[in-house]
Amino acid sequence: MEEKGRIGIPKTLMFYRYFPLWKVFFEELGWRVIVSDGLGKRGKLVYFEDSCLPMKLLVTHSIDLKEKVDHLFVPRLVSLHRSYIMCPKFRGAPDIVHLAMEGTVSILDETIDLRVREYSMLRSFLKTGKQLGADEKEGKRAFQKAERFFFNFQKGWEDRINELPLKQVFHLETPALPKSEEKPFRVAFIGHPYNLFDTDVNKDILSFAKSLGMRIITPDALSEKEIDAQVSDLSKEIYWSSGREIVGSLFHFLSGGVDGVVFLTSFKCGIDALLQEFIRRRLKLKGGTSIPLLLLSLDEHSGREGLTTRLEAFRDVMEERKTKE
Amino acid sequence: MKVTFPHLGTMHIFCKAIAETSGIPYIVPPETSRRTLTLGVQHSNECICLPFKMILGNFIEALQMGADTIVMVGSGPPCRLGLYDLVQKVILEDMGLHYRWLTIPPRLTWQAIWKNYEETRELKKELSWKNILLFPYGLRMGWKKMMACEALEKLAMKVRPREVQKGETQKQLKKALSGVDEARTLRTLNDALQRGTTLLQETEQDFSRAPLKIAIVGELYTVMDPHINRGVEQKLGELGAEVTRTSWFSTHILRSLRKNKADQHSERIRFFEASKAYLGYDVGAECNLSIGEAIVRSQEGYDGVVHLMPFACMPETTASGILTRVGKDWDIPILTLILDEQEIEGRIQTLLEAFVEMLQWKRKAA
Repeated sequence: MEEKGRIGIPKTLMFYRYFPLWKVFFEELGWRVIVSDGLGKRGKLVYFEDSCLPMKLLVTHSIDLKEKVDHLFVPRLVSLHRSYIMCPKFRGAPDIVHLAMEGTVSILDETIDLRVREYSMLRSFLKTGKQLGADEKEGKRAFQKAERFFFNFQKGWEDRINELPLKQVFHLETPALPKSEEKPFRVAFIGHPYNLFDTDVNKDILSFAKSLGMRIITPDALSEKEIDAQVSDLSKEIYWSSGREIVGSLFHFLSGGVDGVVFLTSFKCGIDALLQEFIRRRLKLKGGTSIPLLLLSLDEHSGREGLTTRLEAFRDVMEERKTKE
Repeated sequence: MKVTFPHLGTMHIFCKAIAETSGIPYIVPPETSRRTLTLGVQHSNECICLPFKMILGNFIEALQMGADTIVMVGSGPPCRLGLYDLVQKVILEDMGLHYRWLTIPPRLTWQAIWKNYEETRELKKELSWKNILLFPYGLRMGWKKMMACEALEKLAMKVRPREVQKGETQKQLKKALSGVDEARTLRTLNDALQRGTTLLQETEQDFSRAPLKIAIVGELYTVMDPHINRGVEQKLGELGAEVTRTSWFSTHILRSLRKNKADQHSERIRFFEASKAYLGYDVGAECNLSIGEAIVRSQEGYDGVVHLMPFACMPETTASGILTRVGKDWDIPILTLILDEQEIEGRIQTLLEAFVEMLQWKRKAA
């Protein structure tokens, strides 16, 4: 099939979960997908608004892509769960990008709101497909294929992040390697996907953790039931899907099964700030935990050295605990 | 049983009235002070928004004074306000303070009513029939007092820029509000309102002035509470600007009851429609309205807009990014003030002075 044009996807936010789906969908429709480069060591952040680092990266990456593509794909993610919502900043994200671009590039910003039938993933992608000149049948076929690919991709997720360098995790052509050696520690890394897997945000801390002998487990490994079990007895429902996932998986892992838990958050993340306090207090009230917990707060100023020092110390704590048992 | 509630602008006046009229014992938390804020900051995270810290501080102080039942307005997604109670409960529990919690639901849904029923079941045992019978009257009294406070505050905003002696209006407003606070019956309340109105109107004024017109927009706590915004409204007024805001208790209560009077309703809708040029979706809280109001005010010939938000507020962060562009597009100066617990009163004064001066130059040049 000849190439119809190019679609740019900024490498930030929910890219770190849904990229396989997005990519296959657009490629099936005959478009070439271009992903923005990372910031790298000397990258310059564009400060359009005073938000959290991942949101600042959205504008930066979009500007990076602007000249290279025909359309930018920045969906309006209102909700990615049938009853819970995303952070309110996601609702305004396409508009922020729009203003930052000053209308120089067309933006595909269909709303995705899984609470409402009309804005389901499929319908929203069909609308996007229509904008790209594909009819409903083509769109449906492409979406089904993309969805299948996405589910398969997610199945191999744990091996993928453990065996591949973090930068290659989203190179879809690279196959996941089979599990190599047994690592001495099983460590749960918890946080929003865009904090966990974005090397510009976390300074590639996962790779360092792997080199310290940690096998990384993420909340993706848990089923919704396991998460619900931890948060169902709260006096009020946590209505952000990511917040629920963080609190639920944190308490799940702290009750056993791993050697340590690391919570990555970005500075100024509203959800994390509130839930951090909640987690800390609730843990104390429940009588604490014997599993070590490390909280790392990230922003554009945090250097790699500070993070690695803390992670090394954390490994020592885990080692101590293991030898005592 | 001793009921308590957080401070927010003049809220203590009418919350007190409700409790007093229906004969329920209550404790008004001490006026928000440096100590309140320190307590709140000490027991929360640095990136939680300022209203959370203030309210937490109020609760801690009130519980230490002997209150045992907290009444708090609830809210829904997507803003953090909706989860304040979840986190504050755990914090207070961890501090070893004992309390019972009652959330007033933001929207009357079956789920909310059920939750409320469960929460109040224990409380009902401690209430006498007299309390329950008098409660509707208490609500009426509270509502009247709220409207009286709002009328007085609105009047003060008009008088302040024309006052001859600086600070006089604020003194009279305080007197008038305490008059309203002291009224026990509907009739004395009416008298107090009358007296307050004359007090304010009789403040010596210089009618030859043509004050600047400034609109205050932003997150509702920071707009409505002078302790949180360090008296931005008063400061602007005394610098010679006539200030308007659309965040009042009545607007928010009527909005959540979905019983808006036609005029208020249409005003908010007008703002919302105006914001659509910049925002394609309802971001939540006051975000869209802040943007919309800035646009509408520039069309109405206002001189400037002051945008208030707490540090790290989720919806308003989006608004502040967009407002910089709105200011350019519509040629209206917008000053965004981000508020947190730091002692920034002096800085705010300087910023506002510079802003007002700039507006005056702009007016002269035009």
